Amino acid sequence: MVSVMANEKLLEIKNLKQHFKVGKSVVKAVDGLTFDIYKGETFGLVGESGCGKSTTGRTIIRLYDATDGEVIFDGENVHGKKNAKELKKFNRKMQMIFQDPYASLNPRMTVADIIAEGIDIHGLAKNKEERMARVHELLETVGLNKEHANRYPHEFSGGQRQRIGIARALAVDPEFIIADEPISALDVSIQAQVVNLMKKLQREKGLTYLFIAHDLSMVKYISDRIGVMYQGEIVELADSDELYADPLHPYTQSLLSAIPLPDPEYERSRTRKLYDSEDYAPKSGEKRVLREVKKGHWVACTEEEYEQFMATV
Amino acid sequence: MSMRQEQLPDLTDDMFQPADIDSSKNEEIAGESTGFWKDAWRRLRKNLGAIIGIVIIVVLSLLAIFGPMMNEYSYHEQDLMRAKLPAKVPGLENVGFLGLNGVDIRGVDQYEAKGVDEYFWFGTDEFGRDQWTRVWQGTRISLFIALAAAFIDFVIGVAYGGISAFYGGRVDNILQRIIEVLVGIPNLILIILFILIFEPGILSIILALAVTGWIGMARIVRGQVLKLKNQEFVLASRTLGASDGRVIGRHLIPNVLGQIIITTMFTIPNAIFFEAFLSFIGLGIRPPEASLGSIINNGFSSLQIYPHLVLYPSIVISLLMIAFNLVGDGLRDAFDPKLRK
Ligand SMILES: Nc1ncnc2c1ncn2[C@@H]1O[C@H](COP(=O)(O)OP(=O)(O)OP(=O)(O)O)[C@@H](O)[C@H]1O
Ligand SMILES: [Mg+2]
Repeated sequence: MVSVMANEKLLEIKNLKQHFKVGKSVVKAVDGLTFDIYKGETFGLVGESGCGKSTTGRTIIRLYDATDGEVIFDGENVHGKKNAKELKKFNRKMQMIFQDPYASLNPRMTVADIIAEGIDIHGLAKNKEERMARVHELLETVGLNKEHANRYPHEFSGGQRQRIGIARALAVDPEFIIADEPISALDVSIQAQVVNLMKKLQREKGLTYLFIAHDLSMVKYISDRIGVMYQGEIVELADSDELYADPLHPYTQSLLSAIPLPDPEYERSRTRKLYDSEDYAPKSGEKRVLREVKKGHWVACTEEEYEQFMATV
Repeated sequence: MSMRQEQLPDLTDDMFQPADIDSSKNEEIAGESTGFWKDAWRRLRKNLGAIIGIVIIVVLSLLAIFGPMMNEYSYHEQDLMRAKLPAKVPGLENVGFLGLNGVDIRGVDQYEAKGVDEYFWFGTDEFGRDQWTRVWQGTRISLFIALAAAFIDFVIGVAYGGISAFYGGRVDNILQRIIEVLVGIPNLILIILFILIFEPGILSIILALAVTGWIGMARIVRGQVLKLKNQEFVLASRTLGASDGRVIGRHLIPNVLGQIIITTMFTIPNAIFFEAFLSFIGLGIRPPEASLGSIINNGFSSLQIYPHLVLYPSIVISLLMIAFNLVGDGLRDAFDPKLRK
């Protein structure tokens, strides 16, 4: 894995908050996220179901208006006031791949129309022939063939649909793609296929990814850096090798202990660590904040724990 | 198992040939591509009930249009000399059990008794008006009211439900409260109000249907749009920068259209029945105009003596209701095969 630490920042997320009003109460789906994503890297975001990963992704891409905080893309605030033209420019730069291959394609449209939607909206093709040529090219890019263009989504398998979704996102030549659990609905045998396609595209087109997942096993394989999310906050953030080698937060440790390995020796001694946020809550009532304990390795901790971490490192 | 093996001839390697693996064929899909509408039409064609329904609707509609022109009588032409004649059809008058020979239930041939030479295919009413002409004239009005109701349903219901769900939040809240108020008003009160303001007749009935008829449609469309608007394919379209118009036109409407058509198909028989009911209790169409309901109402008082006055319009209205329901059911199965039990 390439180290991209020194590279320039593509995306800066500062204290991002997304609160939903549900009846009288408020769900704090995302509660103060701060992290950067560098150009050309894959940033993995992991955490259990309902911790706010999808909400983070959707807020970054402006599907939701942020309650608070800033998203700065290429030096520009994404959530600031924008006119229609600026918005369209932004829509081309940032794209999303969705979680559910069965819900993410309109069942009433042909594959050609689905893939060409971005081309149509942004007027990227001068005429019908050019549009079709582009669609065929995109189909080939994601490993499907031309004959698929006139078919409907229900004729495809989950993995094929996910690749159609990728082709749709690629149609507008984005720089940054948010992949919201693109493989978790797929069969294990197909997962690698989609991940490898994404890696290939990243190499060829210099894409930057925010890769969202709920378990660490696949994320390690694709990500350069990983942020671990728990209840709307990031609890640990580090290079993926570093995170595996030296997880500091008990929640990260619990996620790692859940990954089975094809190694009987290891499996015999593997014990599942459980994480209970109540038990782990600081006695003093102090709030944990993200602190850098090693270069590029951040952990949510109290002042006291920070001292301890620094002493052991 | 072992039995099987004994019967097999010896298999040697040279009997086998490796198959070519063409990796480009991996993703191939065999078979014809089927879109939603094509698929639905294929299923509908196979549904016997729906086909029968469509045939009945077509035949009755043609009769409603051309029936009154098929003989020389008009629907309001009175002649007491030929009142209350039973049905008599040339050709069929000799087939005894059909009862189309002009003989009433007491066994008297009324045509002979009254000295009438003409044939009245459905008989005549108490003023001697031709029932055939009146029944099809009535069907015309019933169908017209039904289509008008369906159209209003379609326009108001779809727009109202769609706006309510699409914009959501405050807009949705206000629009739904209005619906709740409207639902609380009984239809009969409304029609009586409209009769007070306008003439009793088609206009009042259509207005009464228009005030509340679209609520079912609005609710269905709202539910569908609420479900659809957060689906990932709509979100994907938004991240690509689609305008509201595009999202509505390309993504929402095509996905709700099936439901809309089905609901409309069920609105039509309801409207037919509502009109017949109003006319039957005397709040609907006024004579000499005829609707199926008012014709049945006229004949109802002398049902035991002159059953033909009620029989034919009742058959027509029953056929209409059954046919529209059959087609509606067929369309539902065709659009959403999962719903079929
Ligand atoms: N539109 C919404 N309105 C209200 N609450 C919401 C909304 N969207 C998400 N939530 C809530 O916010 C929390 C985070 O949801 P989110 O979908 O981001 O989780 P997730 O981490 O993506 O989970 P999963 O792994 O299941 O996809 C959940 O408790 C969810 O119920
Ligand atoms: Mg999610």
